[in-house]
Amino acid sequence: MTQELLTDTINGLAAIVLLTSFFLVANTRMHQLVRTFTLQSLALGLFAFFVAYYTGAEHIYLVAVLTIIIKAIIIPRFLDYTIEKIQVKKEVEPLVGIPLSLLICTGLAFIGYYIAEPVIANGNIITKNCLAISVAVVLIGFYLMASRRKAMSEVVALLVIENGLFLAAISITYGMPLIVELGIFFDVFVTVLIMGVFVFKINRTFETLDTRFMRRLRD
Amino acid sequence: MMIELILLLPLIAAAISYFVKQQHVAEAVSMLSGVLQFILALLIAVDVMQNGAIQYGLWYADELSVFMLVIITFLGSMAVAYSFSYIGHDREEHEISGLQLRRYYLLLQLFLFTMLVVVLTNNLGIMWIAIEGTTLTSAFLVGFYEKDTSLEAAWKYLIICSVGISMALFGVVLTYASSVDVAGFPSDSLNWTDLRSVAALLDPTFLRIAFIFILIGYGTKVGFVPMHTWLPDAHSQAPSPISAMLSGVLLNCALYGILRFYIIMQLSVPGFAPDLLLIFGVISLVMAAAFIILAKDFKRLLAYSSIEHMGIIALGFGIGGFLGIFAGLLHMLNHALTKCLMFFGAGNILQKYNTRSIAEVRGLAYIMPITAALFLLGALAITGSPPFSIFLSEVMVLQAGLGAGSYLVVAIYLFAILVIFAAFMYHVSKMLFGKPTEGVVRGEIHHVSLIPMAILLVSILVIGLFLPQQLMDFITKVAALFPGGSR
Repeated sequence: MTQELLTDTINGLAAIVLLTSFFLVANTRMHQLVRTFTLQSLALGLFAFFVAYYTGAEHIYLVAVLTIIIKAIIIPRFLDYTIEKIQVKKEVEPLVGIPLSLLICTGLAFIGYYIAEPVIANGNIITKNCLAISVAVVLIGFYLMASRRKAMSEVVALLVIENGLFLAAISITYGMPLIVELGIFFDVFVTVLIMGVFVFKINRTFETLDTRFMRRLRD
Repeated sequence: MMIELILLLPLIAAAISYFVKQQHVAEAVSMLSGVLQFILALLIAVDVMQNGAIQYGLWYADELSVFMLVIITFLGSMAVAYSFSYIGHDREEHEISGLQLRRYYLLLQLFLFTMLVVVLTNNLGIMWIAIEGTTLTSAFLVGFYEKDTSLEAAWKYLIICSVGISMALFGVVLTYASSVDVAGFPSDSLNWTDLRSVAALLDPTFLRIAFIFILIGYGTKVGFVPMHTWLPDAHSQAPSPISAMLSGVLLNCALYGILRFYIIMQLSVPGFAPDLLLIFGVISLVMAAAFIILAKDFKRLLAYSSIEHMGIIALGFGIGGFLGIFAGLLHMLNHALTKCLMFFGAGNILQKYNTRSIAEVRGLAYIMPITAALFLLGALAITGSPPFSIFLSEVMVLQAGLGAGSYLVVAIYLFAILVIFAAFMYHVSKMLFGKPTEGVVRGEIHHVSLIPMAILLVSILVIGLFLPQQLMDFITKVAALFPGGSR
């Protein structure tokens, strides 16, 4: 693979990660949401793989494999299982209409570039441009978190934020020390499991996953 | 060796309390583990004070770590001691099952374990993982009663803190990025000691952005306004010994995360971190005062008071200098001790009256005289009255502020603590006096719980009256770790 093709592939995969975030905002069904997330994680795993190929750093290969196994296979399966099990109404019910949401997210993508600018100007590695994308993905994750009502969509939003951060970590530093990466994987995994447990409990207690019903605690 | 041992203790206790299916075994093992952790923490502290920092592998313990270690383990064993009565009472009333009781001690020990890792690791990445770990282990404890309100609190806690902490991860990534170009820096390390030794060479642009993310991220867990929204819910819904742990220890642990970065920032870009801490400190203090006036629920009242005290600690570090940093550290200790006492008292009141509402608690002084006395003394202490220890550290913050010429900050600070004193005393006096609430039988709810409360009261009195020389020397040494914190 030539140098140029390789950089193009890496940038292209980063672009797919951003694109899938937009899809997530536009998705109206739970299963769709999970499938788009799977696609995003897959793109992220491949991104890590090509960065590993480019730099020859062995530990990034491991990170790539783990991303695909945990984020593109295990977690989506677990989410699907939860959705089926609790018979959640399949619609996502966003608080803001989809066209307006997409517009807002475009704005967030610009803000991402603006924030990443000073860092990009200082960096000197090939993936530095991807930082802007990762910041945009993180911001879109925040937006998803704020604009969705269902507990399950909040879990997906958190995972999107994690994906964005992961992209950032690889983009600006070619990945963190291996032990830290492993720990983060473990954390993400456990977080999703625990949230799954709580989703069951919330569903049982409130007979809905709509977090708007959880408004009893206030001053 | 001692570090591995102290980390192993809570894990062993957790396993035993889960697999041995007897209430008394779970309780005894938890207590034993708590006390042993405290003794080991003291031994490590003595070792560090005499021979300097311990560093090997992933672990690192300097004066700041052992300071935290002593706070965590001391309050950890107090919380276990209090849990006997509190959780035992729930079990007698059949509010929880035997399995839930054992699960409680399991989670409590795991929670302690994650906090010990936070203060003992050298690697900032592992520290992040451990801080996220504290959220995961304590979320089940917050939602322990599985009622609608406690599930709501636990869900909010999980989501808000996970999002917050993901921001901190971005800060850690950027810190790492600032270091990879530094010549001679081991490229696979995120070790705090390495970063400190090359702090002056780190990229300041990266670091500034990194610190903002760290402060917002870990600040969410510290409870700085406006990221505090999970805190009153979690503190009011958790079982009272857990509320005490969250408020007294967990908030300090998150703050510890910020302080590690604060030290690096001060070596690289002096002045940036303190200014941000001052801003968050002032906002938190003022907002907490407003919520304390309006409080209707006595556990939420205590939760907002925690936000207030975190604000005061932030002011101490924000003002800086020897006196500011010393005051901040001393206040961390004082707040932890006093707030535990208050939450234990609140736990007794909650179980006696079966309500969290301030308006429904009347005549406490008649119903439970000893708890009432301890609660009143605790309330006086937490609002900064002499001769208790918080008075001391609050005056030091004041002196440091005046010495640094931050008159506006000092004015806001004084105004806020006066308002809080008045509001707090107003609420507490309503609870203590008046015609006792109908249907509440006179008599202490449980007597064993009074022992940890008395120990805490004595310790804040001793610090407040005498400020033992050993403690002075100890905190002076901790403060010397901070740039500008030497005497």
